[in-house]
Amino acid sequence: MKVSLSAQHIVKRYSGVVALADGNLNVESGQVVALLGANGSGKSTLSKIITGVVAPNEGQLLLDGRPVTFASPQAAKKAGITAVYQELSLIPDMTVAENIWLAHEPLQFGVRINRREMRRRTDALLDLFSGAFHTLDADALVADLPPDEKQIVEILKAFSLKPRVMILDEATASLDSRQVDRLFNLIQQWKAENLAIVFVSHRMEEIFRVADRATVLRNGITVGDVAISETNERELVNLMIEASATPRRHERTVAADAPVRLSVRGLRTQALKGIDLEVRDGELLGIGGLQGQGQSELLLALFGAIPWTGEVTLSGEPVHFRHPRAAMEKDVAFVPGDRASEGLLYIRSILENLLLPSWQRYGIPLQLDRGRQDATRIADDLGLVRPSMDAPVSALSGGNAQKVVIGKWLLRNPKLLLLNDPTKGVDVGAKAEFYNLLNDLRQAGTAILFYSSDDVELLELCDRVLVLHDGKVSAELSGSDLNRANLVAASMGSGHMNHEPA
Amino acid sequence: MNLLRLQRYANRNSYLFALLLLVVVLAINYSLQPSLFELRVLNGNLRNWFPLMLLAAGQTIVIIGGGIDLSAGAMVSMVNALLVGSLLTAESTPDEVLLGALIACGAGMLVGAINGFCVAYLRLQPIVTTYATSFIYAGVALYVLPRPGGAIPADLARTYRSTPLDIPFVVYLIVLLILFWLALRATRFGQYLFATGGQPNAAYASGVPVNFVRFLTYVLSGLFAALAAIALTISVSTGNPRIGDKMTLDSIVAVVVGGTRLSGGQGGIIGTVMGIVILGTIRNIISFANVPTWSQTLVDALIIIAALTGPGLIRLIRRRFQ
Repeated sequence: MKVSLSAQHIVKRYSGVVALADGNLNVESGQVVALLGANGSGKSTLSKIITGVVAPNEGQLLLDGRPVTFASPQAAKKAGITAVYQELSLIPDMTVAENIWLAHEPLQFGVRINRREMRRRTDALLDLFSGAFHTLDADALVADLPPDEKQIVEILKAFSLKPRVMILDEATASLDSRQVDRLFNLIQQWKAENLAIVFVSHRMEEIFRVADRATVLRNGITVGDVAISETNERELVNLMIEASATPRRHERTVAADAPVRLSVRGLRTQALKGIDLEVRDGELLGIGGLQGQGQSELLLALFGAIPWTGEVTLSGEPVHFRHPRAAMEKDVAFVPGDRASEGLLYIRSILENLLLPSWQRYGIPLQLDRGRQDATRIADDLGLVRPSMDAPVSALSGGNAQKVVIGKWLLRNPKLLLLNDPTKGVDVGAKAEFYNLLNDLRQAGTAILFYSSDDVELLELCDRVLVLHDGKVSAELSGSDLNRANLVAASMGSGHMNHEPA
Repeated sequence: MNLLRLQRYANRNSYLFALLLLVVVLAINYSLQPSLFELRVLNGNLRNWFPLMLLAAGQTIVIIGGGIDLSAGAMVSMVNALLVGSLLTAESTPDEVLLGALIACGAGMLVGAINGFCVAYLRLQPIVTTYATSFIYAGVALYVLPRPGGAIPADLARTYRSTPLDIPFVVYLIVLLILFWLALRATRFGQYLFATGGQPNAAYASGVPVNFVRFLTYVLSGLFAALAAIALTISVSTGNPRIGDKMTLDSIVAVVVGGTRLSGGQGGIIGTVMGIVILGTIRNIISFANVPTWSQTLVDALIIIAALTGPGLIRLIRRRFQ
């Protein structure tokens, strides 16, 4: 049975912030539509609206030409729309078969689960990927599976619902090339069976292999809908960035003779596949790329929070931190991206939050007066707007709360500062103050490694930007190469584009 | 392949440690009390343990679903008080006994539903909620039966103690309990239960009615508390409004000793049955080993802590070697 799904003029606002201003997407039976866009362009919001995970503020969805609204993911599933997400919806302590058939188990006499039938159908599904995995079988516990096999189970789980429209949201991210080949063969087969597929991916090469059409989002607006056969990588990248790519505002230089603070050779973790980099004192090195390409892992590894292999030298001295405390002792500081869960104790006072990493300096019993003086000095330096030092952090605005997160490390005078997407959810005014702070720190000679999911921020602040893709550095951009077009192209894993697009 | 299957079986059926412990404690008990496996002794032990076994069975279901029921013991007290204080007398006819048992079960399910409503739909914390409601149920027990006393028909106790085909009557009931569990596991509710306790968000995204499953676990816990109260009432043939108060923590300890994970999503009633036998046997050992009275509680506690550490240790060792 043929199907067509059309999202028209979708608007979605999250508490005042427009995530999607004019989202449009059309897909029909036997078609693969690639959904593309840079970070924050609204592609995940659009796919969540189609699958009923979030409700749109304006616009409409048409299924087979009739307007529909989905109150929940279940409602969308009933209408035949399923999604394969990256953040997995599997239950670790249950088997592969139990997970795939959860909530639509084959039954006997209307009550008893027919395990033999469930197993048979699971084996039939697994056969679709046979040869492309090692240990996967119907009775394996999901908890024991490697990430790629979990992803396969997730894909099969979505397919087991016999969908009419299937959304693959970065479903290939953890698959190896053989598994991707198999998935693409299946997609061809499913197309022939009248399935409509929306393919969200950051790998250009895959989009050109599998998609029939590409829909491009930019700043929440659908700016292009082109046939893959009539376009090329360059054209898609140009669609994804503003026609007038933001020029770099400031030229910055670091003294080439400044001492190298941090040097990394062949750093590997589960997500990273060999990273080399060097940061000098007073340098602000940006880490860019699409989200989830290993940027956070890189910073966490350097801070000793996750295990890694490779060579790291700090001021010429080889180090291998196995615990954040070891890194802290060498004057390394880490500012986490998720303020609420990693950066702050919300119900405790500003004073306590600022002093948390530094208590050991204040002796036994704690010299509270000296601590209060130091904390107040830092708070004043940062221009922290506060009711009092004893007010809970929860009373502060987002920007001021972010200052506390950074301030608690400044008390320790860090020589190397690791920033993990620190301006996420911070308002514009607070961002500007934060940028000034970073510049002051650079003037003082602090080496800064700065991961940001905001491309503009990287372009405006950094001397050099390393773009990560799939756990590797796909480009190192500096000078005139550091522009929007190159940044986006490198994020998508495609080759280095040396010139500004026309 | 066989080794892999065995390993998977061990992973899924977390009561293997309990089984080992069971053999050890039974062996120790047997060496101290050679009459342990004689029908009379066996029957006596099982009869004493069975009410707690039922209560812990209900507790198991709640814990697998990701909750906990601290009102279990108070529900036992309440149903015991209802049975002896208002539903039955020593002269009740079999019809009245049946009706009384049904009303008791209904009362258990009703108070279980109150717990379930508060936890599943009002989203209150299970520990605090069921601790608070336990005082309500204990209050009802004292209201219905202000002081210990009362009686029930003597025939009931006679049946409960009987040994048809030279097998204690209680053994048949335990077999029924295990069959109930296996049947439950074979239904969709069984899958939902483990999914809800294991990863509620993923379960919700997969279409599992997470709230309703949580609600039902508490209703089932109430039902099992009522059944436990009926068994206990028959066993002691009298009423006491505080009879179940101490059973709550024992029921939780038995569940954990039986290999059910306290954070939910893993375990089963078969392990809990073993957990109860282990707890009971440990107490036998203490009384037969001439442990001085004043340190019995201490020894009891130490052994339970050791038993609780076991499954965690195994998991730790397994992770080390992976």
